[in-house]
Amino acid sequence: MSLPQSLRTTVTPPELELIASEQLVEIIPLVSMERTAFISGAYGPLRPPNKCKIPLWMALNLKLKKKCHIVPPDWLNVDDLQAILNKETASNAYSEVPFRYVEIAKVLLDVASEDMPQPDKIRYLLKDLREARQAKCRDALALINHSDVKMTNLSSMELNEVRPVFVQSMNIWTKLVRDPTENYIGEVEEDERVS
Amino acid sequence: MNERHAPDLLPAQQVLLAGLLDHIHRQTDTVQTLRADPSSSEEDHFRIMLVQTEIERVKFIVRSYVRTRLFKIEKYARFITMNEELQMRMTATEQEHARRHADLTDEHFFSSVLQSLPPPQRALDEEFDLVPAMIAGPDLNRAVIARARSDCPALEYPNGKTGTFSKGNVVLTPYNVVERLVEEGFAELV
Repeated sequence: MSLPQSLRTTVTPPELELIASEQLVEIIPLVSMERTAFISGAYGPLRPPNKCKIPLWMALNLKLKKKCHIVPPDWLNVDDLQAILNKETASNAYSEVPFRYVEIAKVLLDVASEDMPQPDKIRYLLKDLREARQAKCRDALALINHSDVKMTNLSSMELNEVRPVFVQSMNIWTKLVRDPTENYIGEVEEDERVS
Repeated sequence: MNERHAPDLLPAQQVLLAGLLDHIHRQTDTVQTLRADPSSSEEDHFRIMLVQTEIERVKFIVRSYVRTRLFKIEKYARFITMNEELQMRMTATEQEHARRHADLTDEHFFSSVLQSLPPPQRALDEEFDLVPAMIAGPDLNRAVIARARSDCPALEYPNGKTGTFSKGNVVLTPYNVVERLVEEGFAELV
């Protein structure tokens, strides 16, 4: 078939990573390069030691060849993450985080952990943050209904994680409350048995 | 990515796709000429490598877009051939493909099973009460997760409530609630 079974209900984490790598990051280049035209625009010229903004995937590529240092985004440091985590555990709402923070933090920690201070601490904080948010997310499943659930401030990876369960349960809700005058009564009874 | 999350077939992004393919061709050509040039320095090689990486990334996205559409077209082929509105959203090749796919499956069903059934039971498009229709269309009630790109007018949810939907808000709701906004680009599915 044109789309493999595993890709039909949701997108995979590597795909999300691919999308997230389109975002711009700052680097300190170690080699110089002329301005080059790319499909998404022209980047460069790289003139060490001046900072320069290029897409994340390009920065990772350069980093792997030891041709640059990546400047971590301003939210990716111990103090800011600690502040977010405190807020997260203190209140019931999701605190504000960059939409694709999971993906970006992961690739940066994988490839460029020596460019940031205390990478281990950052890893711990990210993990704590993730667990705190996951717990809230699971609680939210109890609130699901047939019309709307607010999920503002959840990041793309977290949404992707809960999507199969949430979408499925909302679909069942929708069928249960569907106007019984329509021709779907048989279907609804079947779903009731399933749920 | 919208296409991937939406249960329904979205309008084809022909202009965008053509532009991207154009870019890919142009970049590949440049890379080829530069490669053939023996005088290029090591630094040039490096730039060529970066450009090629990007070409591959873009190709991947284009491919998954096309594949997703193809999957939906084949799944709903019979429904599409009878639905003018959906046909408007497709390119000519896509329409042709949908029609042929529908014909082929019909023919296959007929030759494998239907021809040995009594004539009144041969139809593929009967509709009974209490049973879902034989021709499956996209389920517009399926839940999707939508994010507002800019401030949108309040949404009307199926339970009669309305809710504001301002920039950055994320909501899980049946597709038909946000269908308009997604088509007009005010909201995206994530």
